[in-house]
Amino acid sequence: MYSTNVFTGISNVLIMDRRKFIKNSALASSLFFVPKFVKAFESIASERLGYKRLVIIQLGGGNDGLNTIIPHNNDLYYKARPKLAITKNIIKLNDDLGFHPSLGPLRALYDNGELSIINNVGYPNPVRSHFRSMDIWQTASNSDQYLQSGWLGRFLDQHGKKPYNAIEMDEQLSLAMKGEHFNGIATNDYKVLYNTSKDPYFKKVLDHYNDAHLSEHNLGYLYQTMIEAKSSANYIFENTKVQASQTTYPQNRFAKQLKNVSQFINSDLDTKVFYTSLNGFDTHANQNNRQTKLLSQYAEGVAAFVEDLKSNGTFKDTLLLTFSEFGRRVKQNAANGTDHGSANNVFVIGKNLKQAGFYNNLSSLSDLDKNGDLKYSVDFRSVYATILSQWMDVSSEGIIPSKQELLKFI
Amino acid sequence: MTQQELQHLFWRAGFGVHPKKLKSISKNRTEAVADLFKDSKAFSPLTIDLSYLDGISSIDLKNYPELAKEINQKGAKKILDLNYAWVKRLINPTELLRERMTLFWANHFVCRERNPLYAQQYNNTLRYFALGDFRGFVKAVSKEAAMLRYLNGKQNRKNRPNENFARELMELFTLGEGQYSEKDIKESARAFTGYNHDFEGGFIHRESQRDNESKVFLNRIGKYDGDDIIDIILDDKKCARFISDKIYRYFVNPTPNKKYIEAMTDVFFKDYNIENLMRFVFLSDWFYKEENIGSKIKSPVDYLVGMINTVPIQFEKEKDVLRIQKILGQTLLDAPNVAGWKGDKSWIDANTIMVRLKLPSTLLNNALISTGENRELSKKALYKNKGKLPFKTTADWTAFLENFASATTKNLEEYLIQGTIYSGTLDYLKTMNTSSKKEYCIQLMSLPEYQMC
Repeated sequence: MYSTNVFTGISNVLIMDRRKFIKNSALASSLFFVPKFVKAFESIASERLGYKRLVIIQLGGGNDGLNTIIPHNNDLYYKARPKLAITKNIIKLNDDLGFHPSLGPLRALYDNGELSIINNVGYPNPVRSHFRSMDIWQTASNSDQYLQSGWLGRFLDQHGKKPYNAIEMDEQLSLAMKGEHFNGIATNDYKVLYNTSKDPYFKKVLDHYNDAHLSEHNLGYLYQTMIEAKSSANYIFENTKVQASQTTYPQNRFAKQLKNVSQFINSDLDTKVFYTSLNGFDTHANQNNRQTKLLSQYAEGVAAFVEDLKSNGTFKDTLLLTFSEFGRRVKQNAANGTDHGSANNVFVIGKNLKQAGFYNNLSSLSDLDKNGDLKYSVDFRSVYATILSQWMDVSSEGIIPSKQELLKFI
Repeated sequence: MTQQELQHLFWRAGFGVHPKKLKSISKNRTEAVADLFKDSKAFSPLTIDLSYLDGISSIDLKNYPELAKEINQKGAKKILDLNYAWVKRLINPTELLRERMTLFWANHFVCRERNPLYAQQYNNTLRYFALGDFRGFVKAVSKEAAMLRYLNGKQNRKNRPNENFARELMELFTLGEGQYSEKDIKESARAFTGYNHDFEGGFIHRESQRDNESKVFLNRIGKYDGDDIIDIILDDKKCARFISDKIYRYFVNPTPNKKYIEAMTDVFFKDYNIENLMRFVFLSDWFYKEENIGSKIKSPVDYLVGMINTVPIQFEKEKDVLRIQKILGQTLLDAPNVAGWKGDKSWIDANTIMVRLKLPSTLLNNALISTGENRELSKKALYKNKGKLPFKTTADWTAFLENFASATTKNLEEYLIQGTIYSGTLDYLKTMNTSSKKEYCIQLMSLPEYQMC
């Protein structure tokens, strides 16, 4: 214990020196002149200075990407969807593509270069089962491969120290957040978690133990996990600053999740990954009403969240990734809905994006696969790999099982 | 057999046992084991009311999308009914060992089916073969409507093979990864072409989609069909070993023991009879070794069913039974993917451990775990939401007191905890006021030790 404290003490001093050094030195931009001993602590320094966070937004059920980002100049779109095509109030972003009317709140992000829309994201041999395709997106597997851990879980395996390094805003933990050896934490109400862990009985049971006593056997593992859970609950509770947010969020479950995330981020919790979700996109019948409502919830929630982060100065270190397990069929069905499709768009939101706006063009609506679905052109795992290496600053090796090219959106 | 050995047998072959039941069981190992098998000779299928499907044909569903939608929605509810019916069956089984084996096979031949008719039929196939002939079992699974849908068997056609089932057949169901080549997968997939099912879930063979040409599989050549492929796989002792290893890790100890698994393999390879294999395991001296007793982490279903076997619980809302499975991480009929639940340590993380520890008191005692002091603080520390308990239940303590009448409060832990209790915890337990059997039961159930079986 003692030696660790001494060590952090020293490194803190050096970090301060380095900060001052950068501020005061005209040569700051040139690493040539940085003394070696300072460089040695650079990794620690950057960890402290630019603590990057990732917020995942999962749109469950398969959001219809074609009515989200609308090819408003394409006859094939209107032909394929005589009753379902959006014709009014499209928010045109360029000559070809525009937002669904519900996405108005995101317009400012698009104009500010804080939103990158990647079209046609998918994977080879797409699966059209919700369950299985979600599994593929969460584990980053091939479509014929079954992995028992998620990509963010494997990130934790390599880089996590505490369960609260990744928090899911729900009662249960998604497969995405489960590693081989290490899991994130799931809580829809951290106060409940805290109260449970504070039970006097558990305290008395644990009074007799610390980590050092416990064996690697199953029972030892249970005690260890219990200690870990208690300390995580404690950490989250004690470090979360409860202050009235300046921003008004809409009143719904999804917005509440984002509001809690912003509370954690603005309290500077040591959490790299947050996982949120908005469900109900499985629009086989009467799609328009439902999707309009859900996309409003999405856009209003995200806009409030970004505003909240901006006013606290934390937006620049936060990246949002929105995905759905698949897009929907180009042709509408008889019930004014759409059936399960394949490739879909992905939204990346953040400051200083390398390529904001549209990252790529929409796949051809005349050259569809044999099911009549859009062909993918960007593998979702290359989006993950890019986020890991360009944003989280870690290698994707061992996290993303297949070799992926890096994209240039961040 | 000692009390602990008997409890061990009943935790692995069932879901625990209370003192009253223990009294009725023979203390002779051969007899106790023989009775277990005798009691599971019968086969009672699990059925729910599916009369809403009466008179409906596939053509109706095609012609009337509105009807199809309604049938789908009803089906989703029926899947939940099947889940509840299964949980009820596990709590109150007619054939105990058969039910335990069914649960095991459901996480081996993993299949997720949202059509309740096919799901029920599949579940009963698992139950029917649970203690039977493994060869017939694999062949039956390969022809089940649920499996044909889940692993795309029905899309597997001559000249357009789909390899999904063939791959998992070898990787997960029979041989284990790395025991075959990609070529073996391709060739065997061709042998399963033409498999399909009718609307009622019966197996049909579509001749026109069937590939009758020669296939080269595991160094043999012939005009094989699917059953031939399964026979060839089972001719390989690796298959007997793969299953024996899995059974050992599930029924004996999560840490494999090569010597005992090899002995099991020899028994199983003779005739692939599951009953003979299980009898061998339960009669072996090594099964009762101290290192095996209490070495397993209970699965969520073990945990819930075991708890209810100790204190009967009535749930006011059936949905809560589902919710508990969800938050503990194991919803029956809804495995994460065809690889199933990993089990053992993966059941436990910072989320599930606290829910598990707080669950018995929440279900049984208004969320209160007595510490003899600080009662006010305990009340504050409830697993509650907005002041309300998360589940509405009625606990039958009268039944508990009757079933545990022969146990004193002091020796209650010998009945409720399998395996060792950490010494520090034991010291703390000694300081407890044991005047109330009920309170002490809750205290014991709220220990990490109670997670083990």
